[in-house]
Amino acid sequence: MATMLQPQIILLKDGTDTSQGKPQLISNINACVAVADVIRSTLGPRGMDKLVHDEKGNTTISNDGATIMNLLDVIHPAAKTLVDIAKSQDAEVGDGTTSVVLLAGEFLREAKPYIEDGVHPQLIIKSFRTAANLAVRRIGGLAISLEGKDEQEKRRMLVRCAETTLSSKLVGGEKEFFAKMVVEAVLSLGADDSVKMIGIKKVQGGSMTDSFLVHGVAFKKTFSYAGFEQQPKKFENPKILLLNIELELKSEKENAEVRLTDPAQYQSIVDAEWNIIYDKLDKCARSGAKIILSRLPIGDLATQYFADRDIFCAGRVVEEDLQRVARATGAAIQTTVNNLDPEVIGTCQVFEERQVGNERYNVFKGCPGVKTATIVLRGGAEQFIEEADRSLHDAIMIVRKAVKHSSVVPGGGAIDMELSRYLRQHARTIAGKAQLFINSYAKALEVIPRQLCDNAGFDATDVLNKLRQKHALASGEGARYGVDINSGGIIDTYANFIWEPAVVKANAIEAATQAACLVLSVDETIRNPRSQEPDGQPQGGMGRGMMGRGMGGMAGMRGRGRGMRRRM
Amino acid sequence: MALAFDEFGRPFVIIREQEQKSRLKGLDAQKANIMAAKSVARVLRSSLGPKGMDKMLQSPDGDVTVTNDGATILEQMEVENQIGKLMVQLSRSQDYEIGDGTTGVVVLAGALLEHAEALLDKGIHPIRVAEGYEMASKIAVQQLNKIAQKFEFSKDDVESLVQTCMTTLSSKIVGRCKRKLAEIAVKAVLGVADLERRDVNLDLIKIEGKVGGKLEDVELVHGIIVDKEMSHPQMPKVIENAKIAILTCPFEPPKPKTKHKVDIDSVEKFEGLRLQEKQYFTDMVNQCKDSGATLVICQWGFDDEANHLLMHHDLPAIRWVGGVELELIAIATGGRIVPRFQELTPEKLGKAGIVREKVFGTSKDRMVYIENCANSRAVTILIRGGNKMVVEEAKRSLHDALCVARNLIRDNSIVYGGGSAEIACSLAVEAAADTVAGVEQYAMRAFADGLDSVPMALAENSGYQPIESLTAVKAEQMRDNNPYLGIDCNDTGTNDMRKQGVFETLIGKRQQLMLATQVVKMILKIDDVISPSQYD
Repeated sequence: MATMLQPQIILLKDGTDTSQGKPQLISNINACVAVADVIRSTLGPRGMDKLVHDEKGNTTISNDGATIMNLLDVIHPAAKTLVDIAKSQDAEVGDGTTSVVLLAGEFLREAKPYIEDGVHPQLIIKSFRTAANLAVRRIGGLAISLEGKDEQEKRRMLVRCAETTLSSKLVGGEKEFFAKMVVEAVLSLGADDSVKMIGIKKVQGGSMTDSFLVHGVAFKKTFSYAGFEQQPKKFENPKILLLNIELELKSEKENAEVRLTDPAQYQSIVDAEWNIIYDKLDKCARSGAKIILSRLPIGDLATQYFADRDIFCAGRVVEEDLQRVARATGAAIQTTVNNLDPEVIGTCQVFEERQVGNERYNVFKGCPGVKTATIVLRGGAEQFIEEADRSLHDAIMIVRKAVKHSSVVPGGGAIDMELSRYLRQHARTIAGKAQLFINSYAKALEVIPRQLCDNAGFDATDVLNKLRQKHALASGEGARYGVDINSGGIIDTYANFIWEPAVVKANAIEAATQAACLVLSVDETIRNPRSQEPDGQPQGGMGRGMMGRGMGGMAGMRGRGRGMRRRM
Repeated sequence: MALAFDEFGRPFVIIREQEQKSRLKGLDAQKANIMAAKSVARVLRSSLGPKGMDKMLQSPDGDVTVTNDGATILEQMEVENQIGKLMVQLSRSQDYEIGDGTTGVVVLAGALLEHAEALLDKGIHPIRVAEGYEMASKIAVQQLNKIAQKFEFSKDDVESLVQTCMTTLSSKIVGRCKRKLAEIAVKAVLGVADLERRDVNLDLIKIEGKVGGKLEDVELVHGIIVDKEMSHPQMPKVIENAKIAILTCPFEPPKPKTKHKVDIDSVEKFEGLRLQEKQYFTDMVNQCKDSGATLVICQWGFDDEANHLLMHHDLPAIRWVGGVELELIAIATGGRIVPRFQELTPEKLGKAGIVREKVFGTSKDRMVYIENCANSRAVTILIRGGNKMVVEEAKRSLHDALCVARNLIRDNSIVYGGGSAEIACSLAVEAAADTVAGVEQYAMRAFADGLDSVPMALAENSGYQPIESLTAVKAEQMRDNNPYLGIDCNDTGTNDMRKQGVFETLIGKRQQLMLATQVVKMILKIDDVISPSQYD
């Protein structure tokens, strides 16, 4: 109580939460490890899924690390870095999001005893960075390049990579089927095209294997007006016109007002309006196009007009779809119907409206500029398709990465074991504390095979020892051995086609190390109290919690560097 | 959520509103999920088969639905639980894709989960169970393909189609006149089917319901029925060889879409305007008349003045016909939808052999029949019934039957019903299980047991001893090597489904197996449920 009598120096705003020093570092590590523990069990082909249910009643069932991390709604500032690396891994390579979080968590866990023993974090950081550099260089050395192999070979390699990614997902049972589909879709794109050019459409119903790939564009039938059913639904070699204008009878200017003094002029206004729309429609029809798509509505009048002339039209086509159609058919999206040159009109071999499950789909096939592909996913339940979508997205990203950097490393924990062995070996050549830290780093890398075994219900220690023995063989022949998920033994994963693109692994190790170093380098957290919640309710819990803490600070130890966070 | 502790052993918060979130992990999560799915399946179990019972569901607004259709029951139950919702979607997928067998698929999934639970208790890894199930379902599908038979039918010989539709209808409330409904369904589907492309657009079949009369009064109209009446009571009720003008513009003076104002500053101008308006009406009626139309169908209304004029000019008219119906009429009669009077030409008129207004019972309800259309691709089925619930349920049942007929046209392979296909698959899976080494063997056996629960439910619902009847039929199948033996639900004295004429489509059965396996895998794969524990 004595402190209460002394005048307090108020440096920060009332209620600000500060914590600093070693304890703060430890608690940050604990938080990160706790987060990594949450998604631990999703790793690998025997990994389980998480069902996350948010306040709004949305449910997600997922195996994807980034998705889960995102949905967890982590607020702890240090633990948030883990969410960020998962996201960045997702954006950068698209897969390996679970591994990256797991690795970062493990690095921190290994660093913790040293911190507790009073080692300066910067020393650890330095060693970790060195280790990461060595590991990444080693990946480069270990990677098996497929450059220069023929097309067939390359394609097979891509399929293998996609299969490895998919094997841990819900669609794992049909991985061959989907891997082939993904590879075909990616290969139909050009080298620099964005992934957006691969459309993934989801239609509930049917079984997974009813999913199909369209070399071209497919999208759901848009909202249609009366008369639509009278339009022809199948064309061969049609001309395709893409528009970005409304084809509707409407007032031309929003705020205009027409003033008439003579009732006789009335009819002329009416006629003028009709003429405008008919003029537009005529121009469309005269361009010779048989299919007219627009991003904006095509009204009932236009629908019937086109039906009369055996032209197919669809309004309110989603922007992305329209752009894909443009890419595929070579048409340019027009914002006016004047000067419809032949150049702006696209074509394709076959256009058809097709029944898919309960929906009707517009399908463009045999397009001249096949720079786009559409995967139509089928599945039993909504969440099922959602998860399949995420899985395919991962696979697509992986295949694209593999196309660009066509070198692979053996998966199934083999590469991690090998890196670990390599670093251990390297560590022995170093004198000083760094030896310890690099050894710990090497140990942390083993988390991947260990977790694979744990998730599959194998004896991790046993398998790991077998692996260590193999990898330690002087001849180096054991470098490709990883966990055999089927028997609980070990296996040459390269020979068994469990492949990952090298760049995924390299990126994961770099990102995880960076995140770990970042967390280690923080020794103080200052959290400002949240400004008064204007709407109170949604953040209510938070607001109250902060208040409680603020009071706690007042009650005694304020400004002492408690180094810990009070419970809310 | 997992709590992290600082060095003083005090927990701290990592995830937003951590203490308000509940988390189920590991085996507990799986158990809870299986429990939820099972309880949904249990609701439907008693609806399976020809002796299955119906459910009565009351919506929050007090609407009552009585139904036997699995998809409808689950939809209206408003399941809250997440896993329960998966089951609802499972049944919905079956409904979208196949249209029939929505109850069976849920019962199967429930049974598979039930048996999986026992395996989990043994300590088998859930994913191994799921993988075993997948292997088993592949074998079961192979077996289905093996025992399936091609069903020959042609436009004239539809008996086989009718039989299959009857199997579907037999479990419904309308089972009483299933023969008639099945025939109607088949005729309707054949009426709109494109046999060469094997494509049926069910949108062209319209199902109308009208309360009153009895179920047997159901009729198939080769044309369209519009739930409207002639706009003027004195207009003719029957029009033969009608030429129909299909309009989307109202009988009103045209209005510019742009905001406008007419300044009237003198009596003359007012007179002029009034005259002009009047002139519009006369012109409109004349334009219709001149094109040779004998009936006007309009999407919009027209005021009394126009109505009177039409009546005066002997031009019967129907007003306020919805856009979809208008489109159907246009397709059926080969006419074009006309947006403006000026564009009316004789070529754009639709043609129908007869248009008549029919009065139902003693009520004032009238409907307009448009029959013998130029292009009779569109058909309508009019269902009658004692009350709204019966009519609605009959509609749903008929929809199932239509889907079955459509599926048969797409793929004319059938398997036999009464649980015979399930028993055959179960036997095949059991036999195959013995050749598989590893944990999957257990899972496959469990899958076989799961398959058995469908015929078991059938027997139970029919009032037999489930285990006794199942084992008897199973033994017989084994002995005679006859995969067509099933549960004799209707007590006809034979177990041979070929003699009973109980058929199901192959694609429907196959879909059931595959969908159920997929959803079961999805549920088994979840080991962590994170949810807000309370709803505020």
